[in-house]
Amino acid sequence: MERYETGEGQQRMELNERFERALEKVQKAPRYTGGEMNTTVKDWDSCPLHFGFCFPDTYEIGMSHLGLKILYGLINRESWSLCERFFMPWTDMITQMKEENLPLLSMESRHPLNAFDVVGFTLQYEMSYSNILAMLEMGGVPSEGKERGENDPIVVAGGPCAFNPEPLADFIDAFMIGDGEDVMTELNRVILDRKEKGLSREQCLKNLAKLEGVYVPSLYRVTYHDDGTIAAVEPTCPEAPATIRKRVVTDLNSTYYPEKFPVPYTEVVFDRIMLEIMRGCTRGCRFCQAGILYRPVRERSLEKLIELADKLQVSTGYEEISLSSLSSGDYSCLPELIRELMKRMKEKRVSISLPSLRIDSVLKESLEETQQVRKTSLTFAPEAGTQRMRDVINKGVTEEDLLEKVRDAFEGGWSSVKLYFMSGLPTETTEDLDGIADLARKVVAEYFNVPKAQRARGLRVTVSTSVFVPKPFTPFQWAAQDTIETVLAKQEHLKQVLNIKGVTFHWHEPYVSFLEACFARGDRRMGAVLKRAYEKGCILDGWNETFRFDTWMEAFRECRLDPAFYANRERPKDEVMPWDHIDSGITKQFLWHEKEKSDRTETTKDCRKGCNGCGLQRWKGVCAYANAGSI
Amino acid sequence: MRMLAVFEKGERIRHIGHLDIQRSVQRGLRRSGLPVAYSNGFNPHILVTFASALSTGACGKREIMDVTMAEDVNEEEFLRKMNRAMPPEMQLSKTRAVDRKHPSLPPLLRAAQYDLLIQEERFAGKLIDVIPAMMARETIQAMRKTKTALKECDIKPLIYSLNGKDRHIYGTLVLTERESCKPGMLMEALCREAGIEEEVRVLITRTGLLGENENGQLVPLETL
Repeated sequence: MERYETGEGQQRMELNERFERALEKVQKAPRYTGGEMNTTVKDWDSCPLHFGFCFPDTYEIGMSHLGLKILYGLINRESWSLCERFFMPWTDMITQMKEENLPLLSMESRHPLNAFDVVGFTLQYEMSYSNILAMLEMGGVPSEGKERGENDPIVVAGGPCAFNPEPLADFIDAFMIGDGEDVMTELNRVILDRKEKGLSREQCLKNLAKLEGVYVPSLYRVTYHDDGTIAAVEPTCPEAPATIRKRVVTDLNSTYYPEKFPVPYTEVVFDRIMLEIMRGCTRGCRFCQAGILYRPVRERSLEKLIELADKLQVSTGYEEISLSSLSSGDYSCLPELIRELMKRMKEKRVSISLPSLRIDSVLKESLEETQQVRKTSLTFAPEAGTQRMRDVINKGVTEEDLLEKVRDAFEGGWSSVKLYFMSGLPTETTEDLDGIADLARKVVAEYFNVPKAQRARGLRVTVSTSVFVPKPFTPFQWAAQDTIETVLAKQEHLKQVLNIKGVTFHWHEPYVSFLEACFARGDRRMGAVLKRAYEKGCILDGWNETFRFDTWMEAFRECRLDPAFYANRERPKDEVMPWDHIDSGITKQFLWHEKEKSDRTETTKDCRKGCNGCGLQRWKGVCAYANAGSI
Repeated sequence: MRMLAVFEKGERIRHIGHLDIQRSVQRGLRRSGLPVAYSNGFNPHILVTFASALSTGACGKREIMDVTMAEDVNEEEFLRKMNRAMPPEMQLSKTRAVDRKHPSLPPLLRAAQYDLLIQEERFAGKLIDVIPAMMARETIQAMRKTKTALKECDIKPLIYSLNGKDRHIYGTLVLTERESCKPGMLMEALCREAGIEEEVRVLITRTGLLGENENGQLVPLETL
């Protein structure tokens, strides 16, 4: 691929012309044109470090992502670094780019990806991995680390999926584990240092490996047993630590949070102010990976949140604020926060969207008073249909809880309720599936119990089931995923029992979930499958219209790997997991203990009610609820 | 009081559609902190209208927004605050405060000025050369897209003036609430006249919106 050097005016002008030509032939051109309010275009030549932030999915998804806004602001805030955005183009644009021989260009200054010093991917879900290969290739960056030369960018990645980095080990030079705002600047400094001193790529990677929370996969050797399981993952040089400990922001009030967000011209998925009220969750649901990875729970203070809300409202002009966290209902001064926000935002005609689970009666009154609540639909996530199953997964919701909230909602004028479930959870039986239908029926009954004059018309209960995907760093990381055949049979059963008047049933196709399971708990050998599938044309796997399951299965066969080995195999206690050298702060011992409790249908209390000894108590002063005396 | 403000829709954002432009202006007004008036009702929105919707793909040099204010504001202050609140591609160039009873703009609209930049040199000369011949015809046929079908129509009465220079074609075309000559229709007629069958790439810029003063002259709409 030809290389586009900067500063060559003629060539850049010509590039621009070709880009404009491509734009005229695609749907949704604004995805590619940039120039949005609050974006930053720094002077390229006078800024020493160029960071290309890549979101490996479309613009509409990427621009809805809070992490992008945080890191974009953080990197651009430093005088010595600039950050520009890249997104995955849609297929029509890819065709046009090929036609015009165009590289992947940044949204801000339209520089190609290979002109940047650092290329950083955010890993939000496994099904975006093929897009990483596509974006690197389109950007003129060799997709495999070992092919990259001294002039190529350093390719880094972070985000929740970085906690099992192994399937991407061939393609990413360095992973950032844990809270990005904590490590980002340090990483950029090391790369700037390389540029200034003319250090070799190899030396730079070794320097990166010395940073806490940074994993450089090329500095580790993986050995396997004959049965394909891992024997060991060992560092091959003194710079690489045996285990890589995640980075943790200890104080959300003093850490960086942007005071302005880029405001897209076109509508994106989350087109509003996102106010991260806390990070982490204390509930300990056993299927939930985020609940482990983002531990410990950390709250932003009320004062800080009010200050941020005021500033963001002024800088964005958004008409809506949503409170963002894994479990906003648990925020310790939620009623005060909501009341204060409503008071301040009323005049500015900004509405507050609320965590629907926690609308208590007092709040309900003030909501009705201010007319700020749109009675769209309320969402509940009981996750499982029977109390036994909910105890297995430690989802601390009872049927009475749920029905009471539903009753409140129906009495409060809502008529539309969404219920989310998972199917394929460990130990699930037909009885648990029937429980989903029973619960749906009881929700319908609650609606009809409200006097006709009082309730809103048009009952709509939507039941959605997703397919359970066992994830690393959860008590279910040893569990087998249901085979596709089993999932299909269960869905067939659900379709029958959920044939209830007033109830609509949605289910997820099992194929994507199966592949997701392979990558979620995959090892380094999955890199070959990914590369092969990409070469065979797989991209945009998160989208129904572009997902090609059969091609993926061909790629597995050609790489002589069995996807069931990763997805459908129950793993023994002592198996070395591909991610065991990553330290999430939570011990494997704790996760196994939780798995055993789950086998016995025993629940574990919320950490706020007392330390459960997950492992974070070993890190002094990190978790507010830690008790050093626990196991 | 209402504020008429002339603004630009820059080349970079020319693919943004009118609805998104409207929303961007609304958000800009919210950011500006100016005392704008809101509609009543369940989902209050800012009272802002536009003299004319500009097509997706076209740039605009002198588009006009019409903002109803809750309190009187100085024209210069409005301009300054809005330009701080709007992205570089949507800056304002002029403001005029009018009375609340000032007639609304769309019914006053008579014509629009366009600058059509022919992207390929080889077509530009040919197209410009045929302008006099085309204008000398009694009727100029073009296809007009209606909601349901394509209709043949005569655009000659819809062209106030037409000329060209270098790669640019400049036209003043009828644009009212009832009828209009879209730049695409004009281009189609010109291509037919010049015998060009390939697709001609053209960058459309609407450079002005015009109304009629009491002497029957076309003048910038915001000055009426």
